[in-house]
Amino acid sequence: MTPRPGLVLEVDRSTPPTLFWHGERFALERLPEGSRVVYAPEPLPALRDPSAAIRHALTHPLGDRAPLPALLRPGMRLTICFDDISLPLPPMQAPDVRQLVIEQVLDMAAEAGVDDVVLVAALALHRRMTEAELRHALGDRIYDAFAPQGLLTQHDAEDPDNLVHLGTTAEGEDVEINKRAATSDLLVYVNINLVAMDGGHKSVATGLASYRSLRHHHNPRTMVHSRSFMDAPRSELHSSNWRMGRLIADSGVQVFQIETTLNTDTFPSQFGFLQRREWEWSLRDRATYAATAAALDRTPPRIARQIFHSIRAPHAMVSVQAGEVEAVHEVTTANVWRQQGVEVDGQADILTMGLPYICPYNVGSIMNPVLVACLGLGYFFNLYRGKPLVRPGGVVILHHPTPWEFHPGHHPSYIDFFEEVLSQTTDPVEMSKTYEESFATDPWYVHLYRTGNAYHGVHPFYMWYWCAHALDHLGRVIVVGGDPAAVRRMGFSPATSLSDALEMASDVVGRSPSLTHIHTPPLLMADVR
Amino acid sequence: MTVRLPRLPTSFPLATPPWPASVPRPAPERRVGADYDHGWSRRYPVRLARAIVLDNVARPAARLVAPTTVRGDEHLRHVEAPVIFVANHASHLDTPLLLTTLPVRFRHHTVVAAAADYFFDRRWKAALWSFSLAAIPVDRSRVNRRSMDTAAELVEEGWNLVIFPEGGRSPDGWTQPFRPASAAYLARRTGRPVVPVHVHGTRDVLPKAAEGRAPVRRSPVSVVFGAPVTPEEGEDARRLNARIERAVAVLADEVGSDWWSAQRRAAAGATPALAGPDAAPWRRSWALGSPPGTERRTWP
Amino acid sequence: MKALVFERNLARFAASRLASSFGSGRGAAVGPLRILEHEAPALPAAGWARVRPILSGICGSDLATLDGRASRSFEEIVSFPFVPGHEVVGTLEAVPEVAPTPPALAAGDRVVIEPVLGCAARGIVPPCPSCAEGRTGTCERVAFGHLSPGLQTGYCADTDGGWSEAGLVAHYSQLHRVPDAFSDEDAVLVEPTACAAHAVCGAPIHDGDTVAVLGAGTLGLTVVAALSTLAAGDLVASPGAVVVGARYGHQRRLAGELGATAAVSPDQLGRAVRRRSGSLALGSPSTGTSPLTGGADVVFDCVGSAGSIAQSLDMVRPRGTVVLVGMPGKVHVDLASLWRREVALRGAYAYGSERTLDGTTVRTFELAFDVVAAHSLGRLVSATYPIERFEEALVHAGSAGRRGAVKVAFDFRHGRRATRRADTVGRSSTGGAR
Repeated sequence: MTPRPGLVLEVDRSTPPTLFWHGERFALERLPEGSRVVYAPEPLPALRDPSAAIRHALTHPLGDRAPLPALLRPGMRLTICFDDISLPLPPMQAPDVRQLVIEQVLDMAAEAGVDDVVLVAALALHRRMTEAELRHALGDRIYDAFAPQGLLTQHDAEDPDNLVHLGTTAEGEDVEINKRAATSDLLVYVNINLVAMDGGHKSVATGLASYRSLRHHHNPRTMVHSRSFMDAPRSELHSSNWRMGRLIADSGVQVFQIETTLNTDTFPSQFGFLQRREWEWSLRDRATYAATAAALDRTPPRIARQIFHSIRAPHAMVSVQAGEVEAVHEVTTANVWRQQGVEVDGQADILTMGLPYICPYNVGSIMNPVLVACLGLGYFFNLYRGKPLVRPGGVVILHHPTPWEFHPGHHPSYIDFFEEVLSQTTDPVEMSKTYEESFATDPWYVHLYRTGNAYHGVHPFYMWYWCAHALDHLGRVIVVGGDPAAVRRMGFSPATSLSDALEMASDVVGRSPSLTHIHTPPLLMADVR
Repeated sequence: MTVRLPRLPTSFPLATPPWPASVPRPAPERRVGADYDHGWSRRYPVRLARAIVLDNVARPAARLVAPTTVRGDEHLRHVEAPVIFVANHASHLDTPLLLTTLPVRFRHHTVVAAAADYFFDRRWKAALWSFSLAAIPVDRSRVNRRSMDTAAELVEEGWNLVIFPEGGRSPDGWTQPFRPASAAYLARRTGRPVVPVHVHGTRDVLPKAAEGRAPVRRSPVSVVFGAPVTPEEGEDARRLNARIERAVAVLADEVGSDWWSAQRRAAAGATPALAGPDAAPWRRSWALGSPPGTERRTWP
Repeated sequence: MKALVFERNLARFAASRLASSFGSGRGAAVGPLRILEHEAPALPAAGWARVRPILSGICGSDLATLDGRASRSFEEIVSFPFVPGHEVVGTLEAVPEVAPTPPALAAGDRVVIEPVLGCAARGIVPPCPSCAEGRTGTCERVAFGHLSPGLQTGYCADTDGGWSEAGLVAHYSQLHRVPDAFSDEDAVLVEPTACAAHAVCGAPIHDGDTVAVLGAGTLGLTVVAALSTLAAGDLVASPGAVVVGARYGHQRRLAGELGATAAVSPDQLGRAVRRRSGSLALGSPSTGTSPLTGGADVVFDCVGSAGSIAQSLDMVRPRGTVVLVGMPGKVHVDLASLWRREVALRGAYAYGSERTLDGTTVRTFELAFDVVAAHSLGRLVSATYPIERFEEALVHAGSAGRRGAVKVAFDFRHGRRATRRADTVGRSSTGGAR
């Protein structure tokens, strides 16, 4: 059976309640009559022989690039960069796409007799990956061949000896990236394009950049003008990255881009109900939902978190393309849309969304309040092309427990950001002026970023800038079931139930508002007309 | 509230008296390392106990973590003991595995040459390895006549000997060059045949450095015995060593392909080198291939 | 006339010690403090006068004494039975006979008592070196002279204290006239504010320093107020940041109003100090608050427990100073980091006179009057009780923070026997604690 496309369901009296994520739990909510629920398309079928598909992509590149084997010769410097722990979500079942692709690249490099090969995790200002995470992403064979020699490295945006300033774009943006990558004869970048934002010139220009370079596009002004950042042509974030990417290409760095897209088969069969539309839940789905929900209600949040974070997604690769960056990215974006796109007519007064336990920045960690805001107002709000799903001045209702809880090892600067900055201002522009610099240069955060597994000191600001477009656009943000103090600290309103939240929203959008709900999982992209 | 521990006696005669500083203290006798006296480990009751442990504990344990394929044991059928078993060395598993795969005729009458600086540096370690593996210390850092003399004497007395002429476990999975002052020297001196052995896969079970993985992982291994190499009249240790190394290389080739292809390549002088390709470390590692059981899985 | 009298009675000490484990102040009902018919003591000598209390505050040290938590080192410098109460505003009954110049005092004036019983009050001539310098707080003769031992009014059998309707006796050197603009509540805060001003004046603060204040009860808040007022008046150096660790929401709000740069909960204080001092921290960040490598130049510990001293040592910079403002007792603290980082740990007790930044010497109480006036500190009085309800009052004082209060006092004003709450603080009783 071919997978069915996405759909927009109009809620009527007979519609079953709608599933909302609620952190490490679920909720079934009855949406008001006339609400619209946006469902993602069903997962596309997996590639039958992914190894053969990868080999085909490497030997039949797109755009102005020779096949990979022709670019490899003895004595050359080859650097292979790959996306970090933030992709895909949740982490996929072994073997990871990165392992499959890089093994083939290395087979070709070994055959060609390339001795000087270095692997770089392109983590920008994200936390360094642990050995277990690297082994999961790359497989033991790659890890054991490179790590003992110190040739499996993680990009360090604070290491002045391993950064090179390639120049300034016409707009005055500094381009400073990983020196090893910039001085290689060939830079192979392996992407997992989970959402439309990923990949393209953003891979190298962001993933391998320093703070000096990143601040030109990771700032409130750019983010407000990225409408949305999931739609590259209308995203200032991407325009900036594209300028930088072209400068990188012009300065002689030869990039061989490999992009892969996955289907939205996000959860293993125990959680089958998450993947299905409520009216199609079988007896088994209903039984597992009831059992899971009951069990989670009795599970301490800590343990529930561990259980959820141990889930490995059965994601399957649906496309792989390689070659010149822009040619590749065009095909990739089309493939992402093929999997995730849904057409939606018009904007609503209220947009509701259930937020899961995970976002790109808390794999194996705690989803702290800043990340809750970022996932809801940064990621989910921006999952559109054309215009936002909610009208200007409208209301977004998030469904998440939003605990006042931080992972001190992964998110040390988030704690201070939440206590020191958000207690004073929630305005992205204001905080970027007053506080950003002192967080970005705090020696303790730099130390933890470089030697521990901590996100960079400035990262919580970026998370808040990610929300800038939504904060600018919306009249009010309400969090259902959130810790009231944490929610208020961010300038949002806590509500105990969805009906309370709708009641509160009526102050802003009137008595009979229209409502759209993004049904996740799986991920979707709304094409709003 | 603090718990008060009973006080130990602090005064003479209950406590150890201090040694007067003005009286020189004689150096304690060193009885570890290459000088360890291991004669006791070959007495009958100890041999009996070792045989029981080897057959009832070591053998089932080795089979459990390392399902073993043995090939070429027919070569051992007509060989007269004592012989010198020479094998490549990649893991601590090699010795117990080899001992437990030897035919019974050899198994309980074999001593193992073990690094004096590693296995015999403490009394308890020396005793443990002497008992459990009938290990004898050999000095690998310098030429030590005495430890080699002891080994040769034992072979002449009728004991079989297991020796790893690389002088240590392989750091990267490829075999290191064999040292002529080891097996070849002993074979020439005693005139006894050398049985080449190739052990494969033990590194995946119990690697030299196991950071980031389980220290022991179940994985299949194979042990291949080759035809005995007998020292020829007037052959020097260096040439004999080269012959032994070649014999092990052919066995290694046989593990990767089959006996006939390996023999044909041997005849053509095209046996792949034991030392692996001369390239960057990652390519040497890459050329080892995937460990068994972790091959690339086809989707999904 | 009724008074609360503290008697030496071992069985009652033990009972109050036990009862106080259920909460500070709970020892009052069973402890050595009893309400008795009591007359004012006789004037010990010329130069003494009788003062009838208007308001008498309940201090942390009073509670510690009642709870049996006070250090045993005080045993030799108090005399039983005594009437407690050293935060006193009262009415002067008559001008002392031999009052020399200057006291421009008249009978019926409102006065605040400076409770320290130094050489002057004890009739000791010549005075001890401390008193000679004007540092009466550290008087070396508090157990000698013509008075019974007693370091302060309120701990001495011969003077009585403020928790008495009959009144107490005070030496003319202990009397400060209250300006008419001051409310009774403002006046009763002068004594604790003087303690804070003394701590602030004695601390080695320099311009731009990072100062941390741990604890935001009466002492913590008055330290913050003293820092801002005295720095504004150029009497002490101006710190760059004053970060306050306050457990309760109303304390954080008040700390902000009194001039703190930031007020956070105590478990966040280490991080807030680290951020402002640009310091690193030791240990794995996943273990929570970890010792700082640098830190605040001066830490005012306004709690005085083992935990607060350890926390202060963790966030003071090397060669910095921890000032103990809150009264400590016998504590168990690891001093290795104090030794390694050459940290100074100093006490700050009572008052006397201070040398200000401009080089003049001024009595601490005069500074305290200024601080109280600048911030209308009378608003810190959250509740007052008649002494008949002393058990309730002491329980309230013992759980002040939790109940949204700061200072609890006994009220002797005629016709106003009912519990009265100051308007500002009382309303936000349990505050915005997160």
